[in-house]
Amino acid sequence: MTEITNQQASIDRPGHSDAPQGAERVYALIILVEDRPGAVDRVVGVLRRRRANMQTLTLGRGGLSDSSIVRISVFVSDSEVGIDHLVEQLRKIVDVQRVVNLPYQQSVSRELALIKVSSTAENVNAIIDLGTLFGARVLEITPETITLEVTNSEESIEKLVVLLQSYGIRDVARSGSVAIARGADEND
Amino acid sequence: MAIAAKVIRQTGRLARPEQADGAREMAGSAILCESLLREGVEVMYGYPGGAIMPFYDALTSYPALHHILVRHEQAAAHAADGYARATGKVGVCVATSGPGATNLVTGLATAFMDSVPLVAITGQVARPFIGRDAFQETDVIGVTQPITKHNFLIRSTDEIADVVHEAFQVARSGRPGPVLIDIPKDVQLAKAFYCPPAASASQQQTGDDTAPSPYLMTRAAQLIAQAQRPLIMTGHGVILSNAYEELRAFAEKTSIPVIATLLGLSAFPDTHPLHLGMPGMHGPAHVNRAIGDADLIIGVGLRFDDRVTGKVSEFAPHARLIHIDIDPSEMHKVKVATVPIVSDAKIALAALTEAVQPADHSAWLNEIRGWQRENERRQRSIRREKERPDPASILSAIRAATDGEAIIVSDVGQHQMWTARFYQWTRPNSHLTSGGLGTMGFALPAAIGASMGKPGAPVWVVAGDGGFQMNVQELATLQQEGIALKVAIMNNGYLGMVRQWQQFFHQRNYSETPITGPDYVKLAAAYGLTGMCITRGDEVEAAVKRAMETEGTVIIDFVIEAEANVYPMVAPGSGITSMIEETAEEDA
Repeated sequence: MTEITNQQASIDRPGHSDAPQGAERVYALIILVEDRPGAVDRVVGVLRRRRANMQTLTLGRGGLSDSSIVRISVFVSDSEVGIDHLVEQLRKIVDVQRVVNLPYQQSVSRELALIKVSSTAENVNAIIDLGTLFGARVLEITPETITLEVTNSEESIEKLVVLLQSYGIRDVARSGSVAIARGADEND
Repeated sequence: MAIAAKVIRQTGRLARPEQADGAREMAGSAILCESLLREGVEVMYGYPGGAIMPFYDALTSYPALHHILVRHEQAAAHAADGYARATGKVGVCVATSGPGATNLVTGLATAFMDSVPLVAITGQVARPFIGRDAFQETDVIGVTQPITKHNFLIRSTDEIADVVHEAFQVARSGRPGPVLIDIPKDVQLAKAFYCPPAASASQQQTGDDTAPSPYLMTRAAQLIAQAQRPLIMTGHGVILSNAYEELRAFAEKTSIPVIATLLGLSAFPDTHPLHLGMPGMHGPAHVNRAIGDADLIIGVGLRFDDRVTGKVSEFAPHARLIHIDIDPSEMHKVKVATVPIVSDAKIALAALTEAVQPADHSAWLNEIRGWQRENERRQRSIRREKERPDPASILSAIRAATDGEAIIVSDVGQHQMWTARFYQWTRPNSHLTSGGLGTMGFALPAAIGASMGKPGAPVWVVAGDGGFQMNVQELATLQQEGIALKVAIMNNGYLGMVRQWQQFFHQRNYSETPITGPDYVKLAAAYGLTGMCITRGDEVEAAVKRAMETEGTVIIDFVIEAEANVYPMVAPGSGITSMIEETAEEDA
């Protein structure tokens, strides 16, 4: 067993409330909760009370065949200690079955966006070509608009939206990101 | 703990098909009463109203469930809290929907902050009216979500039994806390089949009793062996897990001095040679100085509240931390633990006592005692005899008159700190107070619960004149139930703690702190109780003795010095080793 040095004793608290500036990173939290009244509320309540810096939050059916589980994916920016504390607090919620904390690099995340762009007969092909570069497919074409569906990383969707702005965007519906662990493991 | 509760719900469902043998069709309100009986409930505190009337109707058929009618629902929650703190059982309070339920809120928040197991039952408007702004409708599930460990809205009558048992399990398991059950009126009225569960739910395990990993024990033992200036800090967790013997055995084997936080007081006898005192904002200087010099802190069942640590970066700057707590989210929250041990205090202390070698820290203890003597000598030199009753002598008179066997329930403010400091705690779990939330008005109703939970023990309320007036209506509950409490009001005509802060930090700008009150002797008489007013220090002892000899509730109004202060004091945000001390000029 190693000798414990005095340096370890005097670590300044790196907790969330007084974490040094720039210590924050983005973490994907996957929270599996039982589908009971108020369960999602409680999870969001803990995030709110801790003033967690939430970037996106999505809900969906979770589990393989068990429809009584809701999978909450939330992307939070905080220090490592702050996230660890948040995870422990989330685990205390009675409805929560499991919390998985995925550092951003260890997760694959995808978001779906529906983008309605103003179009004319002249530029519609250019819009479709641009969309195709991002893996988008065409959902609907009207004489004045074209609606694209794209599933990609958050960054790519943002890039596509910027590029489409020159044509005039009528509306964007984004789903928020969902995440899964990289590699063969099941989340952890 | 969450997992344990889930298992029970699932197996409960499996074991109880809807019309199993022995199942009877009953109204929801009767199923609720049956389930409470199954959980071993003997007493509950509440107040009837429209949406909870079916339950109250059923209650008369269950004489084993003793219901105490309080005068305000806040008092119901505090009384259930006092009962739970005194007995270790789950306290139960009942209220109607809307204002009844919202009046419970302060009591639930109090119990939540201090990890007290409660089950609150509230009526709710009938299901078809929910969400339609019905008369006396409040979204009490939403309101109480951040201040309960868990809460349930019952959606159908056949859920009642399972939910009640799960609620008790959640309340008492792991780190205990309040749980609320909201039951719509039509759910109470509707019928369902009820089949009593096979095993009494109260016999179920209350927590995780697995021993902490041997690796952590070895590592902790190694740190303890290396330490020259170690300290044990104990909190409420030691009391909640009933770990008095284990704490004592551990402290004695290692001869490490023991510091108890406000809610840890009475977990370790004040008369023990290793006992040091209370840390933090109003802790004696030698205790805080010891923390400042310590090289190892073994924290047991405490959460390093800001009133304990002061400025965190200056708290125990040289100490490594072995932190024992049942709640994993307390680890590293305030101070990073070198050895985090997520465990019940009783189990961890027993295992740790096994793992450590006997040691001798008498040099370190003597050094601390030296500081203590120095402080006490200085204090004696500036202390003068005063005509008015002195808080310290009131407390020692109470202790002398009760042989230390009393349960002391203090309110919040200066008298609370005096009680913590000057009463000599020897009876385990004899000190009840609202620590985390600091709820004025807590003491009188909580003492009602404590007295019913521990019928043999004398129960003393120590309150300020401000806090006592916050729930003074509960004198009527005492009268109706024939409960005998002894009440010591430390009456200085001020909201004293706020006044003290105004004196120190707001240039004596006594904004809205002078407070009047009733003639407490006449007030007592109005409720058929006994009252006394004591204005001289030399009358204190006789008055306390007389209160003990008088049957029934006695209220003593001690008119203390108006501007008495709690010393020493750490200014909020300062390190705990820099304290404001009493000076000779100060009190002139």
